[in-house]
Amino acid sequence: MTTDLNPDPTVIGGVPKAPLAFLPRPARLFADRAKRFVFLADSGHRLAPYLTFLAALTGLQGRLLAELPAIEPIGRDRVDLARANRMPPVDRAALATDPLLHDTLTRLCDAAQSLDMPEPARLALQAVIAGDAADRHWLVENILADRIPEDSAAPHLFAAAAVQLHMARLVGALNAADLVPISTGICPACGGRPATSSVMGPQGIENVRYATCNCCATQWNEVRIKCLCCGSTKGISYRSVEAEDAVIKAEVCSECDSWVKILYQVKNHSLDPIADDVASLGLDMMMKDTAFRRGGVNAFMAGY
Amino acid sequence: MNIDLSRRGFLRLAGAGVAATSLGAMGFGEAEAAELAHVRAFKLATTTETRNTCPYCSVACGVIMYSNGDVKTGETAEIIHIEGDADHPTNRGTLCPKGAALKDFVKAPTRLTMPRHRAAGASEFQEISWDEALTKIARALKDDRDANLVQTNDAGVTVNRWTSTGFLAASATTNETAWLTYKVVRSMGIVGFDNQARV
Repeated sequence: MTTDLNPDPTVIGGVPKAPLAFLPRPARLFADRAKRFVFLADSGHRLAPYLTFLAALTGLQGRLLAELPAIEPIGRDRVDLARANRMPPVDRAALATDPLLHDTLTRLCDAAQSLDMPEPARLALQAVIAGDAADRHWLVENILADRIPEDSAAPHLFAAAAVQLHMARLVGALNAADLVPISTGICPACGGRPATSSVMGPQGIENVRYATCNCCATQWNEVRIKCLCCGSTKGISYRSVEAEDAVIKAEVCSECDSWVKILYQVKNHSLDPIADDVASLGLDMMMKDTAFRRGGVNAFMAGY
Repeated sequence: MNIDLSRRGFLRLAGAGVAATSLGAMGFGEAEAAELAHVRAFKLATTTETRNTCPYCSVACGVIMYSNGDVKTGETAEIIHIEGDADHPTNRGTLCPKGAALKDFVKAPTRLTMPRHRAAGASEFQEISWDEALTKIARALKDDRDANLVQTNDAGVTVNRWTSTGFLAASATTNETAWLTYKVVRSMGIVGFDNQARV
């Protein structure tokens, strides 16, 4: 009689394997993020007016969840096809013309009129509302390509908020076990680029790094000390104002001359991958004076 | 972030001026300027995180060493923290008590950084140079091997066993180092040999 031995030494210590991805739970996602924006704004931050506005916009994203028509989940055949070909299940090209996404944009813009915002922002919002289908298609297409044209960041901010909302609903309905790793720095759910990455704190994934998709907010596992732009593990260093106590650093790659923000949630559990990215704009300002370019994508801080 | 040419028609429609950043374009330029003025006073410091292998035992757990400063750019680096490498398949971020105390091992005031020699009859160790140490070791090895090498067994078969000297090597070695260690030790006939990188 033979016994089929399949030893797994990791069971001994009870250390679980870090899962590939955590999908967004939209209701919590926007509520938590809005709360963090409010906290950051109320803590005497110099960017408080902007953080307050983003808190309101994120709160609006959360409120719209209840009002939007139900979203049709991605079909099983599409998920299987994506798995078989190591592709993200979300088809971004098709989303650009998705009527529900455009409906989300329209509703978000209509509702956003009630928010407090400076005049330039209101003009941009009204332009998006007044724009024709082709204009809105152009905005959505740019956001879905992780691209913000240099001279129209404001209308794209509203489009990004709508795309985030739609994507979080779409991706939130997937099953994380259906996803497969695609390549370094690519979201396994929607194919997007990360905004930031976080060194996690919770038990079971302590000290493991997860990148956060700027678009659908999926968090996926990435090996640490590795460039999220080019995948190099050579020439990585970290820049921050305080060397030892910093909880937000710039992960710099001297191979491709780019950098992505890394948040040490293991040191501060409250850090939000998007809200704290905006609030740590000072780091972006300081990094702008170096030879490295920002690799993280965040439509709330285009131009850095 | 990627920058693309704009759709001019839409821009006219938007009525917004050309501003390079989100904050500027949304009308939060004042807050942006305040932040910019604030950060002027600060300087960026560089830290590094480096992967390595725990040198203690043959399990060869992965560790991450945090340092202030970047040696690659000519700065001096000082280790400030060492922890288990959560990405490492062997230990998944865990370390045993010895591994968890690695920083103390690196920083120990009693850490051996130079070869030391205690002469026969002396009570104290004295630091000596690497050249001196290697010469002494080679001399001792040669003398012992000349005296004790077993060239044939009872049946007259050549065996070349050197049983009176043993050799220990550590775990934090590359495959190449382990291979070379094995070749050097075994070709001299040393039988008592433990290379912790054997796993």
